Amino acid sequence: MLADLLAWLEGTRVATWTRESPSLWAYPTVLTLHTVGLAIVVGVSAVVDLRLLGVARRVPLATLMPAFRLIAWGFLLNAVTGLLLLIADATMKMRQPVLYVKLALIALGLRCTVLARKEIRYGPVAPTSTVSPRASVIAMASLLLWAAAITAGRLMAYL
Amino acid sequence: MNAVVAWIQATAVSRTIVEQPWIWPAAETAHFLGLALLLGIIGLLDLRLMGFLPRIPIGALHELVPFALGAFGLNVVSGATFLVGHPEQYAHNIAWWLKAASLALAGANALVFERLFARRTLGMREGEPMPAAVRWIGAISMAAWLSVLYWGRMLPFIGDAF
Repeated sequence: MLADLLAWLEGTRVATWTRESPSLWAYPTVLTLHTVGLAIVVGVSAVVDLRLLGVARRVPLATLMPAFRLIAWGFLLNAVTGLLLLIADATMKMRQPVLYVKLALIALGLRCTVLARKEIRYGPVAPTSTVSPRASVIAMASLLLWAAAITAGRLMAYL
Repeated sequence: MNAVVAWIQATAVSRTIVEQPWIWPAAETAHFLGLALLLGIIGLLDLRLMGFLPRIPIGALHELVPFALGAFGLNVVSGATFLVGHPEQYAHNIAWWLKAASLALAGANALVFERLFARRTLGMREGEPMPAAVRWIGAISMAAWLSVLYWGRMLPFIGDAF
């Protein structure tokens, strides 16, 4: 039943195109966009996390609010490109335990990003202010979870 | 060029990188962590230089640059690991040379900013418009770093590296 579904997904036009088209616009470009999205989501989150941990303290926390919009666009880009990469090799990838580890880490990382946004939105707005021990814990967890998600993603090519 | 490739391949460190199965994936993971941190920090700075995110004080944001340099250092080391492990994949790979050229452009552009524009720009107050030259530096930086990422990603598809 599940195997049929995965085989059907793999056989769809868009999956076949992603996997088999010799065009640089197919698999190579989807993979490149996935990497750009990764850099936006993880890199911009890391900037927010570093600030919450006390780096570049003179950046007022409230001015970082637009960063979350960037993260959201990066995430959307990676949800779309990630789905394409997944259905292109659905049978093989859905059998990899590390995929589920990666997805769980992304869910937790995202949760931390949402929590960090709340801390900034409703926390103190004065420049140079640090927030709270709670915010530091969120920031640290976010850095670790996103780094672990990248590691799991890389390991999909090996495990 | 081929003599250099053969010489590198014969070194003990090159043999080790090829023979230890964990080194390559570990270096790849480090390379991706480094690229995310580097592009996140530099990308936000570039956006600010281009005139976006005007409320973020540019001088304060610039304090993140040492972290970007640390990330770059990580990527130099992990990148050198690939290069020393399989020099034959890169020496004749047009994508690798374009990546190196993009990197040189990004570096030169950053140097121009730090030498000629940093002092004045980093002291700017909220709402002060960015001079055109600084906006260009931000745009060139972003284009150059995206180009580094693009050609890096194309290494297996245009050349035949893995």
